Amino acid sequence: MRSLFNAARTGIREIRVHKMRSVLSFMAIAVGSVVFIDSFAAIFSTYDRLQKQKEVSGIARLKITQDYNQTSADPDQYTPPPVITYDDAVSLKSKLPGLYMVSPEFQSWRNTLEFEGKRVVTTLAGVTPEWAKRDFVYTLKGRFLDWHDVENKLRVCVLVRKAVPPPTNELNKTRMKQWDYTAAFDVLVSHSDMLGKTIKLDDVTFTVIGILEELPASRAPDIILPQNRDYKVLAPVTTLAHYGFIDEENDSMDLSVDAGDENNFGESLKLVENFLKIRFGGDESFLIDNQMEMIKDAIDASIKASLVTISLGMLAFLAGGIGIMNVTLATVFARTKEIGIRRAVGASRGDIMLQFIVEAAMLGLIGGVLGSVLGYVWGVPVKEMLGLGRSPIKLWMPAVSVLIATFTAFVFAIYPAWVAASLKPADALRTE
Amino acid sequence: MSISCSELSKVYEGGKAGWPALLGVSFEIKPGEFTAVTGPSGCGKSTLLNILGLLDEPTGGRYLLNGRDILEMSDGERSDFRRDQIGFIFQSFNLLNRLPALGNVCLPMMYAGIQNAEMQHRAHALLAKVGLKGKEKKTPLELSGGERQRVAIARALANSPKIILADEPTGNLDSASSREIMDMLLQLNAEGITVIMVTHDKELAARARRNLRMKDGRLEA
Ligand SMILES: Nc1ncnc2c1ncn2[C@@H]1O[C@H](COP(=O)(O)OP(=O)(O)OP(=O)(O)O)[C@@H](O)[C@H]1O
Ligand SMILES: [Mg+2]
Repeated sequence: MRSLFNAARTGIREIRVHKMRSVLSFMAIAVGSVVFIDSFAAIFSTYDRLQKQKEVSGIARLKITQDYNQTSADPDQYTPPPVITYDDAVSLKSKLPGLYMVSPEFQSWRNTLEFEGKRVVTTLAGVTPEWAKRDFVYTLKGRFLDWHDVENKLRVCVLVRKAVPPPTNELNKTRMKQWDYTAAFDVLVSHSDMLGKTIKLDDVTFTVIGILEELPASRAPDIILPQNRDYKVLAPVTTLAHYGFIDEENDSMDLSVDAGDENNFGESLKLVENFLKIRFGGDESFLIDNQMEMIKDAIDASIKASLVTISLGMLAFLAGGIGIMNVTLATVFARTKEIGIRRAVGASRGDIMLQFIVEAAMLGLIGGVLGSVLGYVWGVPVKEMLGLGRSPIKLWMPAVSVLIATFTAFVFAIYPAWVAASLKPADALRTE
Repeated sequence: MSISCSELSKVYEGGKAGWPALLGVSFEIKPGEFTAVTGPSGCGKSTLLNILGLLDEPTGGRYLLNGRDILEMSDGERSDFRRDQIGFIFQSFNLLNRLPALGNVCLPMMYAGIQNAEMQHRAHALLAKVGLKGKEKKTPLELSGGERQRVAIARALANSPKIILADEPTGNLDSASSREIMDMLLQLNAEGITVIMVTHDKELAARARRNLRMKDGRLEA
């Protein structure tokens, strides 16, 4: 204990005397610390984001769509595949009540919306309340569609509004109009108060009961499924069928399903396939898109990216450690005479080793603390200023990084310290 | 503390066959003796002193320190011996220039684990004893050669050693300072410490009770 204290005192003096050398060597470790904290925070935020994504998107997802790409050997023999209707969705849900979500979705493009004399082009989606169970990345004003609306085929609808209202003059840019045909809709919805008002969709009157506002990019959890969610107006699927927006003979709906439990996913998948077979016969007229695989792949990719990041952090520490080793080795050679003197007055090999290891470990400690401070400054105020979003730095991250920094310096000082301790006192004394 | 050497030899590594520096040296030194070792440059005096002080190992022969074969001691035991029983004085002082006189004197006590207050007290007393009262805070670079050697003597005395090994302690000093240092060593010897001193100075050697003359790695009769 006493010798540790003495070694620490000598170490502090040496660090103070050789300021430049010390600064250089603990800077290396500090950089390691910064990279480490940053990568740890990155991993943490990836993890956080994944958790949120899983919450929002679910995992055990699948999607049933009509297989449009059916081919037939003889064109005359071609019979269009059967269509999925709202009733099929209801019947699937009642046959398999274990499914968390069965959302029939029908989308129609290029409908017109008229509000207070303005007409814009929009897209129209027929859904049920189930739709809101997954990938719901909006804040809601008013209310969403409910089962009462669906069962009674009420003419109510919900509009989707952009998080950032597009400026009105954007519309004048003709290019914009060409490729974003709902730009006018976005402007209209952003700049008028339509909640509770009536609008006309293709000349059918609807009441706007809710506005879904998209979350700003910084707060919106990513949804894992790369699906097209370009919905603008949502109305009960039954209403759309009743008023002729959907031709129930020919228009097939998609069924977006969440089996709810990823462990039973395979089983659920079989049950759903079975249901389709019984309902539509044996021919494979439907595609069942196993979205769980896709989600899992996306998650795996994120985790792999994190591992790359953390190994970068480790590599930075390694570089810092080698720096410390280099400096300590140089110190040993520069102080060979001193080692001889200390040995002559009674220092043992252990004393000499301790001295150099403690000195290096202190450099590591200083570097770790400095790196933690820099890591925090970089991760919170600087990143925020640069608009990168603050890193989720937890208290244990700097603590761990200080520990690792100290430990790294300790480990890398062992060899130079051993070199110092192995010098024969007589040889060490002879050097100048 | 008795010293007994028989057929001590030392061959330095290097070259094809190495460099023989000691070629069988045998002698005994009784506790309390004052021995001067003389001889021409390169005859092996420093080599012998390093071996006696456990700073180096002989490559042949036997060296019994207080009856114990030093080749059978561990590094820790040798370090303890150097720390507690032996005091070194070198021609080039070998002080740590970064430490003040006081710190240099404290160094051996630090390794002996002596409490700080006690250490400070003893270091002050020792510096006073060698006539450096008031210069405790000066670093070696701020002291004259004679003063530096006196700091070295104070350091050598820090843990009350039984033996003092001095390798040309006056080699870098003028004759007045040399005489003072010699007086001090004689005084210490009078207090019971065994002193072995290497010197080129015939006059100083004559003041020692015993003379060992070396030539080409051997003792002359
Ligand atoms: N580390 C070493 N490696 C090789 N040879 C050495 C080493 N140290 C000393 N020698 C050789 O051993 C011989 C004895 O050296 P030593 O230093 O003991 O002489 P010395 O009697 O003390 O001389 P001086 O009076 O000049 O100090 C010399 O010839 C020297 O060249
Ligand atoms: Mg010599």
